[in-house]
Amino acid sequence: MSTELNRDGSSKNKVLVTSILFMGLGHILYFKQYIKGVLYALVEIISICLIPFFVQKISELITLGEPQPDIAVKLRNNSIFMLIDGVMIIAIIAIIIGIYVISVRGALNEYKEYCINGVLKTNKASMAGAAGKAFPVVGIAPAVILLLFFVVVPLVFSACVAFTNYSAPEHIPPNNTVDWVGFDNFVAMFGGEASWTSAFGRVAIWTLVWGVLATFTCYAGGLIMAVVLNESKIKIKPLFRSIFILPYAVPAVVSMLVWKNLLNGSFGIVNRTLMEIGMIHGPIPWLSDVWLCRVVCVLVNLWAGFSYFMLLIMGNMTAISGDIYEAAKIDGASKFYMFRKITIPLVLYQTMPLIIMSFTHNINNFGAIYFLTGGLPSVADSTATSAGGTDILVTWIYNLTVTLMKYNYASVLAVVIFIVMAPFAIFSFRNTKSYKEGEL
Amino acid sequence: MNNKAGKAAISAVVWIFLIGTSLFVLYPLVYVVSAAFSPQQNIAALSIVPFGDGISFENYKYLFENTDFPLWFRNTLIVATATTISTVFVCSLSAYIFSRFRFIMKKTLMMSLLILQIFPSFVGMVAIYVILLRINGLDTLWGLILVYLAGNIPYNTWMVKSYLDTVPKSLDEAARIDGASHFLIFRKIVLPIAKPIIIFLTITSFTAPWMDFIFPKMVLRSSKVQTVALGLFSFVTDKKNLFATFSAGSVLVAVPFIIFFVITQKMLITSLGGAAVKE
Repeated sequence: MSTELNRDGSSKNKVLVTSILFMGLGHILYFKQYIKGVLYALVEIISICLIPFFVQKISELITLGEPQPDIAVKLRNNSIFMLIDGVMIIAIIAIIIGIYVISVRGALNEYKEYCINGVLKTNKASMAGAAGKAFPVVGIAPAVILLLFFVVVPLVFSACVAFTNYSAPEHIPPNNTVDWVGFDNFVAMFGGEASWTSAFGRVAIWTLVWGVLATFTCYAGGLIMAVVLNESKIKIKPLFRSIFILPYAVPAVVSMLVWKNLLNGSFGIVNRTLMEIGMIHGPIPWLSDVWLCRVVCVLVNLWAGFSYFMLLIMGNMTAISGDIYEAAKIDGASKFYMFRKITIPLVLYQTMPLIIMSFTHNINNFGAIYFLTGGLPSVADSTATSAGGTDILVTWIYNLTVTLMKYNYASVLAVVIFIVMAPFAIFSFRNTKSYKEGEL
Repeated sequence: MNNKAGKAAISAVVWIFLIGTSLFVLYPLVYVVSAAFSPQQNIAALSIVPFGDGISFENYKYLFENTDFPLWFRNTLIVATATTISTVFVCSLSAYIFSRFRFIMKKTLMMSLLILQIFPSFVGMVAIYVILLRINGLDTLWGLILVYLAGNIPYNTWMVKSYLDTVPKSLDEAARIDGASHFLIFRKIVLPIAKPIIIFLTITSFTAPWMDFIFPKMVLRSSKVQTVALGLFSFVTDKKNLFATFSAGSVLVAVPFIIFFVITQKMLITSLGGAAVKE
């Protein structure tokens, strides 16, 4: 086989086939880029050597190990390690395939350039070119690798667990193995087991209600504060603004725990104060009555969350160009009219994506619920399902994992969150400027 | 005459509204401060009048002599600083590449960043635990830093990328023609241009570790590597209630934040508004 290439583009298949046959072969044979070619070839050789290892790990991923009740616990098959290793191996294989694709594409590009220029690049020029072209790949590599192993692999693992029976008390490695069970957990959660189904329905509805209310109250509160501060002519405005920033500045752990203690039914300051001044005779069960507690959650979240929107909307208001107001003034518009017809629509338009983001944030707002109520008060099925009256999906996931060790059900919930949230993500993606302008 | 009375009424309503809201905002904060300096330990014994028990430094003495608070503070500071530096570097570099280069799978990667960003990262908690166990990162600060860094990447890369998209490319293209390397352009041109959004990124990634609870709880087991949030939480569990000690610690953590936010509020407003406009 000749290593000469035709300049008319007819050797494209030759380059393609060689590059696919063995990574880097095309670079060595045709383009005399030995360093690059050898590096690519090295990747392929290492991958080939690892094939038995890969096969073993993948087969373990499929079987998840055999129960071995007669040997020491330490030596038994650990299904969870097998599951994670399997997922990681798949990630590594994906990286190798990525490198493969890059090498083949590189060879084809090299050939295209050869067709145009008629000469092979010198080694030095090709190294310089490689450094330039490799920059995006090398620069993005740390982010991609970190994401792959600390975000994607864990998420895929979670999704997998939803299809296993990984749960206390009978299927916790290393004592016992875990098995694939198909859609059993989903069936149990959505109708199969009455207590789980009712708990799920309750928590899911409350999560949605909570997300909507928390977002709406904080946005409305922030808007009102921003408008009042912006429009009023009070001299000590900066003082008020500084006060209103405080909830944003205080760490959520601190403020939520403080509210929890202030509102405590028996010894909380709020009840003791109200009783002292004679407004109530018995303590108000702020955090022990289910409905009252839900109202308290929304209110305390308003306390903690309105500052962010206030800052944001004030920022937006100052960013509106003065020209628009000038023009309106010349046309004889009153101040209130300008506010209603210019400020509000513009602010609403610009903060709309953030309202959606804030909604997704609130759906996942672990801190606001966990530190304030811990998911309590208990309701009828709380002992069995660990879902309290104010638990939202994420705090329930936390309880299921930490307290009950029902990892399978926790993962089902995670999958549900994904299915519900993905449309929001896609929506905000389609709303970004770069997507609309087709720059991607 | 009527108009004047109307204006006075409106201004009175505004005043009442502002003062009322301020009281609501300050209400819990006043009690934290008063509890922090109170000689009482238990919340049930605290006076309902703020500072009604007099002022003492008992709680601070207890905090520094009988608990590991200084150590927790140091740990959190290390985690926050390291997370911030690495997040700023990795996210801005990736954002620069996403904004200025064309490469294979770019669209897929961008889309996955966006989808990954919606997950609360502790959904993969069990897996992260096992992975850290495998690489000996459990019970270490760097393990926690890695988890934070990875969790910060999706959203922040998007944010910085969106900002860079609005900056004209002419500057860095000119430098490229002059022969500057990509990394030099990133360091000398792109980073200075992106300063507003980088400051915003620094603030958000520095403050987050002080408030986070789940990951430290999962990753850090021994008492020597605890963070402030864990430590404070341990003061007010169902089993014991050291509300005053908790308050004393909280004040120490919150005061630097409050000073910082109040001083930088003008900048916060513009950069928050800016970030919103640019998304």
